[in-house]
Amino acid sequence: MMTFLKIDQLSAFYGKAKALHDISLSVKQGEIIAIVGANGAGKSTLLDSIMGLTKIEGDISLEGKSLIGKTTPEIVQSGVGYAPERFNLFPYMSVYNNLMVGAFTAREDITRNLEIVEKLFPRLKERTNQETHTQSGGERQMVSLGRALMSSPRLLLVDEPTIGLAPKICLEIAVVLRRLRDEFNTTIVITEQNANFAMTLAERLYVLESGSIKIEGLAKDLKNDPQLTEAYFGH
Amino acid sequence: MLEILIQGLLLSGLYALIAVGFTLIFSVGRVLNLAYGSYIMIAGYVYFYFSQLLGLPPIVGLLLAGILGSCMGLLKYNLIVKPLKGDHIPVEISTLILAVILQSAIILYFGNSAKILLPIFQGVIHIGNATVTYNVLAATLVSWLILIVLFVFIRKTHVGRAMQAVSMDSKGASISGVNINKINMFTWGISGFLGAIAGVFFASYTQLSPSMWVAPLIIAIAIVIVGGIGSIIGTLVVAHIIGFMEIISVALISPQLRGVFTMLLVIIVLIIRPKGLFGREEL
Repeated sequence: MMTFLKIDQLSAFYGKAKALHDISLSVKQGEIIAIVGANGAGKSTLLDSIMGLTKIEGDISLEGKSLIGKTTPEIVQSGVGYAPERFNLFPYMSVYNNLMVGAFTAREDITRNLEIVEKLFPRLKERTNQETHTQSGGERQMVSLGRALMSSPRLLLVDEPTIGLAPKICLEIAVVLRRLRDEFNTTIVITEQNANFAMTLAERLYVLESGSIKIEGLAKDLKNDPQLTEAYFGH
Repeated sequence: MLEILIQGLLLSGLYALIAVGFTLIFSVGRVLNLAYGSYIMIAGYVYFYFSQLLGLPPIVGLLLAGILGSCMGLLKYNLIVKPLKGDHIPVEISTLILAVILQSAIILYFGNSAKILLPIFQGVIHIGNATVTYNVLAATLVSWLILIVLFVFIRKTHVGRAMQAVSMDSKGASISGVNINKINMFTWGISGFLGAIAGVFFASYTQLSPSMWVAPLIIAIAIVIVGGIGSIIGTLVVAHIIGFMEIISVALISPQLRGVFTMLLVIIVLIIRPKGLFGREEL
């Protein structure tokens, strides 16, 4: 399998503060990886950086083509979908219209993508006319993922898919992400505070601490890693 | 009574048209465009110049005014708003200064005295005991038409939905592939066009003078404050409340009190419901 997403010595800045230090990682096509770390470790910053939303140094490339210098909409167009932690939905628009905005760059695929989203999240189909500010956290997460899928992404970034959600919904989300990979060969990068969830979903893990990668490895190997167990399964 | 109803409807339609361009900019770009009144004033003069001085057909004058309004909106976005990166106070101060500069430029070229703009459409129609000029009737119809088209455009097209999306969550819009800069440019262009069309009708409803930008700006601000900044439906409803209040106070109390009740309403709403009657900031 070829390297699909490659991040090389990435540093990110908020004003003068450095939020990420020399991050390097690579993701193969069709792989699911998880970035695990505590609050403030830089997980969201890392995903924001891939989307061109932060000031960065270093290189990020997708299928060998650098994303540096591209605007966020251009990055979306080149095949990256993003479901951010706070969802950033359009609160006074219906579920349907939220999804339609997601289709802004992929209008020729609307019918097909809408079918996929409705198949993955039947609940969204039932609530297609509901405005998202009246929805539960789980439903908003589904709209957020659905909106990202409307742009026909080949790489999907999901920031903290389970935060604040009931275990049953977490499981539903995990099943959907796995299906996306299995049925559509979508490459997926998630971030997680919940290392257990990350282990069950992802094949490989990167552990992020204070903006640097501390540990990386296969999920099955890290399960018994004492360092990780101590830091992330201690509670 | 019928006369009040008819005059109220006509004036309200015009006010709605004046306010809607102002609302668009605030919702999408989060900028109080205090130079908005000057689009209205300049559009009146542009129309006057082409249609009355050069004798071009009224519809050509109207279109030229609209195009120039659009260009002014785009220029202002690119030269002032974008470099200041939405830093509100400098943007608002500089837009207000720009309005004053434009007023001086108009005085320099056309002089300080008021001018009468000939009606775009000649003739009158009698409805009961009310006399309505075709001109005002046309202004109202055009304004309704524009508002309906705009409403459908914003709700049903990709670009319209993107405008709504930017107004509600610009990061969310950006990660959906929407180019915020392009949407802003488009909105400033449309807003300038709408302001200019409103300006020509407003000038022909009142008269043309270099200081005529103040009244419509105040009306626009009043409507968006009372309506809840950003809501098109709110703009439409409140334009009618304010339009009718003016007509009723002029007809039943005194013409001198024309704008007073509007201002009182603004103050009351600011105290009781600071977010406006339809309170939210998104489209």
